[in-house]
Amino acid sequence: MTTASMTSAQPSSQASAEMQRVRQRALRRQRFNRGLVYALAIVFCLWVLVPIWFIASMAFTTPEYVRAYPKGVLPFIPFSLETMRFFLSSQGIIPGTINSIIVALITLVLSTLIAAPAGYAISRYIFRGRDVYRLSILAVRAFPVVVLAIPLAVVFINFGIYDSVFSLALMHTALTLPTTILVIGSVFASIPYELEEAAQVFGCSPLQAFRTVVLPLVAPGIAAASIFTFVMSWNEVFAASILTLQNRTLPAQVLSALSQSSEAYQFAGAFFMMIPALIFIFVIRRYLFNMWGQISK
Amino acid sequence: MNKRRNWAPFLLILPSVVYLAVFFAWPMFRAMTLAVWDDAANLQLHQEASSTSPAAGSLPQGAPVAILDRQGNVLAPEAVNDANLQTEIWFQIRSTGPDGQPVAGWAPEARVRVRESDAEGRPLAGTIRRKLAGDADPLTDVFASPSQVAQITGKLEASAAVEILGQETLELWYLVHGGEDGQPQEGWAPARYIQVYESGEVGRVARGDTGAFTTHYIQAMFNDRFFWPALLTTLLLMVLIIPLQFVLSIIMALIIQAQLKGNSFFLYVFTIALGVSDLAVGIVWYAIFTQYGYLNSILQSLGLISEPVAYLTADTRYWIIIAICLAELWRATAIVMVVVVSGLQAISSEILEAADLFGAGLWRRVRYVILPMLRPSLQVALILRTILALQVFAVVIALSGGDIVTVLANEAYRQYYDLRNINVAAAYAGLILLLSMISAVFYLRTVRSNEEASE
Repeated sequence: MTTASMTSAQPSSQASAEMQRVRQRALRRQRFNRGLVYALAIVFCLWVLVPIWFIASMAFTTPEYVRAYPKGVLPFIPFSLETMRFFLSSQGIIPGTINSIIVALITLVLSTLIAAPAGYAISRYIFRGRDVYRLSILAVRAFPVVVLAIPLAVVFINFGIYDSVFSLALMHTALTLPTTILVIGSVFASIPYELEEAAQVFGCSPLQAFRTVVLPLVAPGIAAASIFTFVMSWNEVFAASILTLQNRTLPAQVLSALSQSSEAYQFAGAFFMMIPALIFIFVIRRYLFNMWGQISK
Repeated sequence: MNKRRNWAPFLLILPSVVYLAVFFAWPMFRAMTLAVWDDAANLQLHQEASSTSPAAGSLPQGAPVAILDRQGNVLAPEAVNDANLQTEIWFQIRSTGPDGQPVAGWAPEARVRVRESDAEGRPLAGTIRRKLAGDADPLTDVFASPSQVAQITGKLEASAAVEILGQETLELWYLVHGGEDGQPQEGWAPARYIQVYESGEVGRVARGDTGAFTTHYIQAMFNDRFFWPALLTTLLLMVLIIPLQFVLSIIMALIIQAQLKGNSFFLYVFTIALGVSDLAVGIVWYAIFTQYGYLNSILQSLGLISEPVAYLTADTRYWIIIAICLAELWRATAIVMVVVVSGLQAISSEILEAADLFGAGLWRRVRYVILPMLRPSLQVALILRTILALQVFAVVIALSGGDIVTVLANEAYRQYYDLRNINVAAAYAGLILLLSMISAVFYLRTVRSNEEASE
């Protein structure tokens, strides 16, 4: 555990034989614990990775092997793009993917544009109602926003914007906005205001100071928040199923075809839907704590 | 921090406040009203066939009525395209009667077949339609003004050629009589609210125009045969998943905190599931638990079973529950873990070292130092998790088809999508919101009372 610095922190003046023994026992225990922790870590990795391995095996083999029993895993069964190709050429998948990307991009832009100023405000200013504002954002963040798709559907039908990627993006923005505000707020909070002040002392206008000093520092964090927004929108299936009919997004399309589709379709679809998560979580993993840790502060 | 009092922060948060008001607060309010408010409960009757005339009582939706009279009101040109109105078009015509005398006046569109129109689609000429055989009067009445009750200026034979001079769009009104025996109601109502039966003399109130509070939709939700299974399954899943998830996520967080070599790899792997769509996760675990899936493949290769066992069937619901639990554990433990890790990072390492120095083993350190200090984070994670557990949806559909085992969110979807019962779906949404709120308040209460007790 976090005891590596223990030996150095210990003043040696009082080191007696008893102390020495205790220390050695502690060291042994520590080594044993470390081994145990490694073993546990590997077990958890397998717990996460093995199901992904299974589904990847199903997605990248021939349909015969998808139907086969007992099922094999890559690389023990032949690698083939046939199943994936079958899935991608199924009805509605390519348009669904395009819709998903459009919705996710609109959501990303909208929610970043709205959240960035708000995040800046809560991290840089003390104003009346700041705590109330933060608290309500936290409350919205923890709320099952998705079920609001049902009343929103009624509203969208009345306004004639039902079943469009844009109205779905509006819903997804409401879903992601609180998280994005909190994350961007914490990203700004991690940049000391003194930096901005210093830049202003050296003759920058406030806007210049923001652009030349703060923006480059916060850009990666904001990018991470935006990427996470993208992933959330890409994954969302309840609101997407309720708010679209013809212009289905990918998850909504797969969900509606689920009961009448072959296993090859389902498995390839599952892996295909996972791809952004696999890539983007890798890119933003450093910022995940900003993202979710924030909520507890 | 900028402590200067100015308007900048308000301006900066304004877009988000407006956005969340429009797309969060208002829909929430709408969800509540959809669930308990019947928009079309009562039909307002009027003393005359005009919406500005005084009220003459009201009838509930579905009430049988007798239709005593009908009248058409000329619509203002700007209201003609209102699709909600039930309208009738009348033509101003000129023709020659059966006796050779000129006839001019108004006739309903139903009596005139348009034969000729100009480039813009305006009718110019036509012929009178033949009346059904058996009608008492084979001639078609022509009225002085576009109304059935207007004075008749002449009659025309079937197939008589007419010149069409103009047209008016009328909104139809009926004089209806209905209501309970004790309190008969009589008055005028727009035709779009009345469903007329074939005879043309009786009908029913198809829908009302004024709303009223109703528990009808909530009752429909409670009486739905899927309601109790859905509620119980949702609660069961919460009870099964959340404790396990907390244990797992604390262990995972401690592993991350141990700063092993390859920590960044472990962190990535542990958090992958956080970004995976729940539908995909459901399918992944379906691939494992389906009859010819991976679980049976492994068991059979090990010789533990001789033929594939069917897990996801109506007779083995507990297997479906287990599969849903595993899928949810796999997917959402990462979220709790991240919250716990950031909580752990806030605990100063001196405290842990001190505990270690005093000979506290791992278990005692976790029990007496780490867990108490993590309480705020765990609390938040607990609220977050509980509310997420109320939204479990795609995983359940993928693993059970949404029929054998069902949850609240799935029922909301079914009511909306399959049954087109938007109000009952909103009742489900309201229930989910209510349960979320109760659990959040409950957790916060518990914490506060704990804090007060410890003071």
